[in-house]
Amino acid sequence: MPKSMSVVREAIAGDEADDAMAERAAAGQVAAGRKVLPIVEGVVLVAALLAPLVLQDYLTVFATRVIILALFALSFDLVWGYAGIMSFGQALFFGSAGYGVALLARDLDITNIFLVLPAGTLIGLTFALLLGGFLLLGRHPSSVIFVSLGTLTGSYAADRLARGWYYLGGQNGIPSIAPMTVGSYEFSEGPPFYYLVLGILVVVYLLCRFLVRSQFGLALAGLRENEQRIAFFGYKAQHLKAIIFAIGGAVAGLAGSLYAFHEGFVWPNMVGVVVSTQVVLYVLFGGSGTLIGAVIGAIIVEGVSFWLSDNYRDIWPIILGVLLLLVILFRPLGLISFVLGERERVGSFGAKPKEKRNAP
Amino acid sequence: MANAFVAAFEILSFGAIIVLIVLGLGIIASMMGIFNFAQGEFVLLGAYITYLAYAKGMPIWAGMVAAPFVVGALGFVLEALIIRRFYAAPIVAMLGTYALGLIIRESVRGLIGGFYLTVPEPIGGSIDIGAMHISAWRFTIIVITLLVMAGCYLLLSRTSFGLRVRATLENPALARASGISTPLIYGATFAFGAALAGLAGALIVPVFSLFADLGLRFLIQGFVAVMVGGVGSFIGPVAGAGVIGTLSAALPWVMAPVVADVLVFVLAIVFIKFRPQGLIAGKGV
Repeated sequence: MPKSMSVVREAIAGDEADDAMAERAAAGQVAAGRKVLPIVEGVVLVAALLAPLVLQDYLTVFATRVIILALFALSFDLVWGYAGIMSFGQALFFGSAGYGVALLARDLDITNIFLVLPAGTLIGLTFALLLGGFLLLGRHPSSVIFVSLGTLTGSYAADRLARGWYYLGGQNGIPSIAPMTVGSYEFSEGPPFYYLVLGILVVVYLLCRFLVRSQFGLALAGLRENEQRIAFFGYKAQHLKAIIFAIGGAVAGLAGSLYAFHEGFVWPNMVGVVVSTQVVLYVLFGGSGTLIGAVIGAIIVEGVSFWLSDNYRDIWPIILGVLLLLVILFRPLGLISFVLGERERVGSFGAKPKEKRNAP
Repeated sequence: MANAFVAAFEILSFGAIIVLIVLGLGIIASMMGIFNFAQGEFVLLGAYITYLAYAKGMPIWAGMVAAPFVVGALGFVLEALIIRRFYAAPIVAMLGTYALGLIIRESVRGLIGGFYLTVPEPIGGSIDIGAMHISAWRFTIIVITLLVMAGCYLLLSRTSFGLRVRATLENPALARASGISTPLIYGATFAFGAALAGLAGALIVPVFSLFADLGLRFLIQGFVAVMVGGVGSFIGPVAGAGVIGTLSAALPWVMAPVVADVLVFVLAIVFIKFRPQGLIAGKGV
């Protein structure tokens, strides 16, 4: 299919969407006060806060893992849901940060939480800057296909490297990492670790929420909808992309270092294609382009997978594939779009205008 | 001398296998603009059908002949039901075909379990040239790859079907206006690409044995080869596959395999970054 045609088609589709949005915006002013998003966010937060009180111990450990993966999903949602960069290699940042903190703990005996978490975040940020800078910047803008296959290849190559490198433990990875510490207190699996992770998730979520609702977020959303238009407006589209890619990498790195300490070991799959595609699944299921969608997607996919894998271990991946296909075909905006309208998904940006706009 | 010859043969036969796998991937990517993540699973299906024929006591070659037809038919059906909806959006196509691949792979895993199942070579033994022995089956694969390559080239460049395919690639609107049924052409092209993957799977299963992640192993190598060669033509991906296949078989002879493995990918990505049109630019055959 010639590129020019699809661009025109997108532009037309964009115009139609704009018109439809304007209509809905007008309708929205009438039915103001019916905001679903804060309700969904509140419900998820309350459920997450109460979960350890009702869950058994082994389920709290599982829930901690899910919260960490939700943080990871958030990083992919920033990159794909908001900036439209298909990163099939998000696990590269997740896993390399995991390996990094595992090495810190193994070789240098550094387990202080105030050192290892920033270190993991920094590792994710650095790798994302390097890979993103290489793939996204340059004289000619890179095609979406090149970026998605480039990140996929990067993740695959890292997997092979981790498998073959003796220093990183080869196939077995790095086992029995010492627990994270604050002073003399050790974070082991259980409610304290859960609330630590939940606190981090809430803070990062709020930061991301601020980011995507700012002027920067508006430019990102424009990038996703129509990159050419944004470039014509004078934005440096490639720079914006590289910045959000690096931020996504940093969040993934934070999640990866938490994951390494929670599980107590790291292994090559953590940087590989399997985990990379898993995070894509979370976000597609939940609904890309809404931060809460990524969190809900991670919770649902992991939760159902945990529940089904007891009884239907063999057919669960097949069911997952079928569900994914159905979502892609019929619900491209994910499960969240059942309760969330288009207007609220796109949201409002920047500071509220001082003057009231004239109603049409 | 003898060692060098054996090494050269190993490199050549691995290169041929990669070319065989990339052929279908390249045709679908070039002619339809879709990077088919399920291609590896089509390879896996071809291998599975061959194994099935062997397990049921039929001659192995019967399975090998049936594989491309069965997989091709499946490809045609999938195109009509699902792939057709993805043409406008290449990224969605990747995700959709990934989901399809996941379904196929896990179904096969459910059928064979986590085992490595071996299928004997239909042409066993070795060819002796003086003191050197080379595997007869690997030699057969090289010959078949050359034949299939030539066949595809002639099909696309010399027949009226090939002309229609190329017309649909260059200008779908004009092709439709000229009375070419583009949906049918897309369906047939996708089925053809799937059939080639099925054939590849059938031929390589005696070499690699059958396991559920068989296709996944080649998928990323295949994508990189297509990008290096250049999307848009038939020759491009084949050339890319030759380069990638030869490099990844040759480099481990001169350096540590781990480094060689990663180096091939790094080199390929850097090459594509600075030459996005690939080795052979341009559309057509």
